[in-house]
Amino acid sequence: MTEGANQKTTAEEAVEVALEVNGTVTKVLVPSRWLLSDVLRHRLGLTATHVGCEQGVCGACTVLIDGVPTRSCLLFAKAAEGLAITTLEGVLDDPALQALQEAFHRHHALQCGFCTPGMLLTALAMVRQQVPAEPETIREYLSGNLCRCTGYQYIVEAVAEVLQAVDRGDPAGSPALP
Amino acid sequence: MKPAPFVYHRPRTVEEAVALLGLPACKVLAGGQSLVPLMNFRLSRPRHLVDINWLPGLDGVEWDPDQGRLRLGALVRHQVLATHPLVRRHLPVLAEAAGHIGHWAIRSRGTLGGSLAHADPAAELPAAMVALGARFCLRSQSGERWVDAGEFFQGLFTTVLAEDELLTAVEVSVDQSARWGFYEIARRVGDFALAGAYARRRGGVIDLTWFGVGPKPFTVELQAGEAEAALEQVLQTAAEDVAARQWAKVAAMRALQRAGR
Amino acid sequence: MEHSRPQWTGARVARVEDARLLSGRARYLDDLPLPGCLEVAFVRSPHAHARIRRIDPRLALAMPGVVAIWTFSDCPVRLLQSGVYPVGQPALADGEVRYVGEPVVAVFAADRYLAEDAAEAVEVDYEPLPAYVDLAAIVEHPDWAVHPPVDNRYVHREYATEGFDQAFAQAPHHLRVRFRTRRQTAVTLEPRGAAAVFDPASERLTFYASTQSPHRMRGDLAKFLGLPDHRVRVVVPEVGGGFGMKANTYPEDILVAWAALKLGRPVRWVSDRMESLLADAHARDDIHDVEVAFDGEGRIWAVADHLMADGGAYPGYPFSGAVGETGLAAQVLTGPYQIPHLKTTIDCVFSHKTPLGAYRGVWGPIASFVQEGIVDRVARAVGKDPAEVRRLQLIDQFPYRNPAGLVYDPGSYRDSMELALKAIDYDRWRDEQRRGWREGRYLGIGISVFVEPSAMAASESGSIPYEAATLRMEPSGKVTASLGLGPTGQGHETTMAQLIADALGIAVEDVVVLHGDTDSAPLGGGTGGSRSATIGGGAALTAAERLGEKVRRVAAHLLEADFEDVVLAQGQAYVRGVPSRALPLAEVARIAYTDVARLGPELEPGLEVTARYRPPLPMTFSNGTHVAVVEVDIETGLVKVLRYAVVNDCGTLINPQIVEGQIVGGVAQGVGSAFLEELAYSEDGQLTTTTLLDYRLPEATDVPPVEIQHLTTPSASLGGMKGMGEGSLIAAPAALVGAVNDALAPLEVWFSEIPITPEAIVRAVRRRAEAPR
Ligand SMILES: Cc1cc2nc3c(=O)[nH]c(=O)nc-3n(C[C@H](O)[C@H](O)[C@H](O)COP(=O)(O)OP(=O)(O)OC[C@H]3O[C@@H](n4cnc5c(N)ncnc54)[C@H](O)[C@@H]3O)c2cc1C
Ligand code: FES
Ligand code: FES
Repeated sequence: MTEGANQKTTAEEAVEVALEVNGTVTKVLVPSRWLLSDVLRHRLGLTATHVGCEQGVCGACTVLIDGVPTRSCLLFAKAAEGLAITTLEGVLDDPALQALQEAFHRHHALQCGFCTPGMLLTALAMVRQQVPAEPETIREYLSGNLCRCTGYQYIVEAVAEVLQAVDRGDPAGSPALP
Repeated sequence: MKPAPFVYHRPRTVEEAVALLGLPACKVLAGGQSLVPLMNFRLSRPRHLVDINWLPGLDGVEWDPDQGRLRLGALVRHQVLATHPLVRRHLPVLAEAAGHIGHWAIRSRGTLGGSLAHADPAAELPAAMVALGARFCLRSQSGERWVDAGEFFQGLFTTVLAEDELLTAVEVSVDQSARWGFYEIARRVGDFALAGAYARRRGGVIDLTWFGVGPKPFTVELQAGEAEAALEQVLQTAAEDVAARQWAKVAAMRALQRAGR
Repeated sequence: MEHSRPQWTGARVARVEDARLLSGRARYLDDLPLPGCLEVAFVRSPHAHARIRRIDPRLALAMPGVVAIWTFSDCPVRLLQSGVYPVGQPALADGEVRYVGEPVVAVFAADRYLAEDAAEAVEVDYEPLPAYVDLAAIVEHPDWAVHPPVDNRYVHREYATEGFDQAFAQAPHHLRVRFRTRRQTAVTLEPRGAAAVFDPASERLTFYASTQSPHRMRGDLAKFLGLPDHRVRVVVPEVGGGFGMKANTYPEDILVAWAALKLGRPVRWVSDRMESLLADAHARDDIHDVEVAFDGEGRIWAVADHLMADGGAYPGYPFSGAVGETGLAAQVLTGPYQIPHLKTTIDCVFSHKTPLGAYRGVWGPIASFVQEGIVDRVARAVGKDPAEVRRLQLIDQFPYRNPAGLVYDPGSYRDSMELALKAIDYDRWRDEQRRGWREGRYLGIGISVFVEPSAMAASESGSIPYEAATLRMEPSGKVTASLGLGPTGQGHETTMAQLIADALGIAVEDVVVLHGDTDSAPLGGGTGGSRSATIGGGAALTAAERLGEKVRRVAAHLLEADFEDVVLAQGQAYVRGVPSRALPLAEVARIAYTDVARLGPELEPGLEVTARYRPPLPMTFSNGTHVAVVEVDIETGLVKVLRYAVVNDCGTLINPQIVEGQIVGGVAQGVGSAFLEELAYSEDGQLTTTTLLDYRLPEATDVPPVEIQHLTTPSASLGGMKGMGEGSLIAAPAALVGAVNDALAPLEVWFSEIPITPEAIVRAVRRRAEAPR
């Protein structure tokens, strides 16, 4: 019995891909099959986007596409032309993100940190959509982002705190620091 | 887990798209939430990908009050289906079911047309369409045809869609007198169903439609009152396994309960 | 020396690691920029067992971007622990494949896409052979051999307490149970990987490893590549989780290092998720055939256990999970209970499956599951409340020598259980449960009292019984510490800094903790087996004490005071009772390095020490109790965890917040272990769970909020810490399974296999309903 594909793959051409990432359009030359996650990480050096499965399950590769959490491992970079892509690097100055970072830090909502960028972006989209601050709702919204270390509890608490601040009308969603 | 090479196409009109579908080993790319994982595994290796996300007019949700009909474009994302005011008003059961698909990030990208074309036996939407008696519009270079949901699904991941056909829209006639219930049993939030069911009550007639039970969605009509006993019998043949049968029954009973009296 | 009250130790100090992780600036293995790097894809065996007739790489070699394609003869290394195990895994399959996923051919190409293209095009001609997959059957067939003529039962041990047979025979009651734990694995969110760069100028190899044991990795590379160890530098970047799985050295590590040397280019391999489920160390594939002897009160007199483990195709290197799981489970099988007699038989066998290695808790989750399962069954047999039966026999005299010969240092076994029962409001739930049963609601309460042997002289991550720390007070008065630990998210940079800061009277911000670089760290054992806080912390404390002494000697000289009178606090050295006679540490340090004329002849310039710490006991036992309340939907078989309480005693808490994080994370993994996770094999040895859709990790919606309380019974080690990284996963599956069994008591359904699937519950309940009364 002979295993292995006999189908010969021929050299493929790189194509120009113009990506709007974090508000700037950048052109890269890559084969069409390159995943957005790989182009962000290996061509644009945006390594806050992590890759944990390439099966669409773990959420480590979460980016915002037009403001909505999306798996960058299930999107070809070429197909992402024309979409507004936001990675964690692009929102570091956003006060709502800073409030989340601060809350994650104080609540010990991260251990190895590998899931953290994806969690933060999902949480940021929740803050922007003003998701209700109930623990069950938060868990539901975060259910597509796996974390193997924390058991989620302190992530839920951190996100709840920021959502509550938003509820109270604090513009940055920033809770008063102790 | 990297996909094999392919040529990417981004048509701007439906005509252009269906013309491209004549290319050899060609696949439609919609939300990519089923196709791309398969490509990453190299279980699917199309040579041409036709990205339909930029086709105009395929993402509409429209209510036709005269016909009492909801028209949904193939590119309507699951999250839109779950939250759109028109869907929630006229077909709340469909909105509820769509909310059970995967996770937020999956729903924000995955499309109605993609889910129907993919025809996963454990998926929520194919069964919803069968239960609702929807019709699908299939476009190809030779024109368009309409197919009933009940005929569209052929079996495990198979449909009547021809290789060069594009599913463009779905139409559902809304029966105001029907009461609906939905129930899904899944291991985790976002998992495909162990079993799920839609129940429709119209007077004394009950229609139950399952997913995750057998290779494709199917419907059984019962008279109110005989429900439980009859169910046992129906499911004897539908699911060979004790646990699967039990889940099918429980999903149906609970869906029925939710449909009210 | 006068000690000011510890300011940092015991405080909820938010982690110093967080800033880089929260901003996405942390660099994990795959984030390292390595210009010109080749990427690797492996051709992995599609068969559980087959002879390799022929490998033809010609087609693949001609493909774009391909630089080299290797088979075993290109890297003829075996991960053999001579003198310990009879066989070792070859870096690439050598003529025969023995598990699905075993690396057969390595393809080096310009990027991973091209490498995968070529890997697909390598032709391998296999002749499939029969595969041995089922543990119970393998144990029953001594003639089946994965490595003939080597005895397939590669470890066999027997042990019995004196007088066991008599005690067992005399007991009024007996019961028998088979406990089964199905294969599971760590699934770190960051997959495993390695990268290597050879520098021809310095003739040194730098090996970037996502590992828990940097020095062990260096030793292994040196040994297998035939390099002197000072020419190998192991650097551990940020690591996205380890859980024991990243404690081993794997074939891929050897390949990557060897390729960087031979191909003269940087080489990197990062596992994809399918590979990681196939080829990361698996765990927990064990059977326990248990017989229990007890009396009418529920007192357990004797336990006999035949422990069997499926070690997979090769012994994991250097840690065979099968041996670790059974060997240690056999020693802690009586847990926190005073059970006088024990008899154990251990059989570890080879199979045609992935090698077993470590996953958090190793033996612990299995032993606890068995031990608590026994106690619950005895309670049911004598018609008593499970808490009551535990009270009868919880250990309360220390030190306690258990029937396997391990000596437990003091703990809070009874108190932890009572406190946990109170926390959960045990009696109220019992009422609730009875009410529920009448209404067809199935609520259950599970109790798991656990012991966690920690800080062992030899654990999976390093078999050295000590840890080392180098501390340097820089001329600025700030401190750089370097340790041989290999943290994977546990926050050592914070906890070690807390200990050091207190010992030197400085702030946590003034300490930088380095780890995971064999060029800067003294040789250490790494992180694993819950050893870092106790042994690593001991090393940090010892080094800090000694550095403090040096600083005080210099300060005493400069202040013209007695050494004994010099105190370090608030960044200053001052004379006891005369706070005005003080020198900032920055001044002391500056003088010690750059103004050495002022030191006098007897003082050595510089402020740097390396210290090693060996704890006084071979291990120290953490303990605690988990109580879970669940509701079982008997129609669907789904289980919902309603409440969860933990009382934990790990001695001195360096940082309660970090300890709590470890606990909650372990409970979540326990939910996975008890209900969700299984590496399933088909009869012919195909792993059928190769995605995270099939291998189900707990999601945020699966995990209950955990209520935590601490007790503190300090260990005899410096600082009083006990290890606690594994305890929560040790205890949780037992609590959860116990709760399900408790819920289903009226149906007389027992589960003794994990994970408990909804299917298993539905089947069991139906069987019960259909059984003739
Ligand atoms: C982690 C995860 C969890 C998920 N959980 C669920 C779940 O619980 N329930 C569920 O139902 N689904 C689930 N999905 C799948 C998801 O719903 C997909 O969105 C859906 O199945 C396919 O839609 P898509 O738009 O992504 O299609 P694509 O992946 O783009 O395409 C799927 C298939 O349909 C074809 N196709 C797509 N659109 C058309 C069209 N208009 N005409 C003709 N052919 C077309 C494609 O060629 C392809 O063969 C999950 C996916 C992931 C990654
Ligand atoms: S890497 Fe994209 S979901 Fe896991
Ligand atoms: S912190 Fe490690 S995976 Fe979430």
